[in-house]
Amino acid sequence: MDYDLELGKVVAHINKIKAKNVLVQLPDGLKPHAKKIIDAIRSKTSSEAFIWLGDCFGACDIPLGLQSLKIDLVVQFGHNAFVKEAGW
Amino acid sequence: MKLLLIDAKYKKRIRLSRKALDLLKKFRVVALYASVQFSSKIQLVVEQLEKQGIKVVSSRPARTKEKYQILGCDCFSGNLKMKETPDAFLYIGDGMFHPLALVLQQKESSVFKPVVVFDPISKKSSVLARRNVEKILRKYKASLMKFISKETVGILITTKPGQQQYSAALSLKRKYPNKNFYYFLDNNINYSSFDNFPFIDVWVSTACPRIAFDDSLHIKKPIINLNDALRAEDVLSRLRIN
Repeated sequence: MDYDLELGKVVAHINKIKAKNVLVQLPDGLKPHAKKIIDAIRSKTSSEAFIWLGDCFGACDIPLGLQSLKIDLVVQFGHNAFVKEAGW
Repeated sequence: MKLLLIDAKYKKRIRLSRKALDLLKKFRVVALYASVQFSSKIQLVVEQLEKQGIKVVSSRPARTKEKYQILGCDCFSGNLKMKETPDAFLYIGDGMFHPLALVLQQKESSVFKPVVVFDPISKKSSVLARRNVEKILRKYKASLMKFISKETVGILITTKPGQQQYSAALSLKRKYPNKNFYYFLDNNINYSSFDNFPFIDVWVSTACPRIAFDDSLHIKKPIINLNDALRAEDVLSRLRIN
């Protein structure tokens, strides 16, 4: 694995905020590593972890409608903060 | 609901290949950009270029958080917020989505600056030119002409919070009071859905701007971006196609 998934940081953040239901969202290139991420979350936190099946175009593309599943944290990999500007 | 972003930085060292350096040595000033996985690992690349006598410049483009980082949506002239004019661009990363933003943002430039691409994983390098987006820009030109001449316009608005531009889209109505605008909402834009609305003459995308560029060839009707719709005649007169 040539990319740093920072699983220690992810686990520490989940435990710090006591997230109960975590959604992991990955761009296509990182989707094959979902198992490693979910296994780490399940073994080192008390959260349930879900995988977003669909697209992940960037930090501009956070899934909607997660309240019905009581998702309290989205961990999106492969992007950093997006600075939204009016128009494009 | 909280959000944690993990940018998945590349862990290995990045060094330009001899071929990449050969492609760059004829340029005096090179603008360096990378995707976020690689943007913090390019100091060695800067040193390699400077050792060749090449001046390295860069910026923090409009929608990014870091210097050297490029996003696919910063594909309009001025988005890079560069203070200096380079002779060429160098993009470090895998895939062509991001470096094509560096080509598309030159669609109105009278002098095209080549985009050298170096993939640190495969070590392959290539050069992108205006011809790489020629088909897209030909369709785009035709779409701009349709937008100017037609009256019934469908405005695509995504519900994705990061891409939703409804307020900005309203400025179209003020700019073109004689056109009829219809607002279409969706999360992901499904192009086959357009066929259900045959009364629309031309689409204006206010969602990801790469839809109206890269994906336009898969869309039957004309489609342009909001920014360009707001200055359609100006863009049409300045658009450069080989």
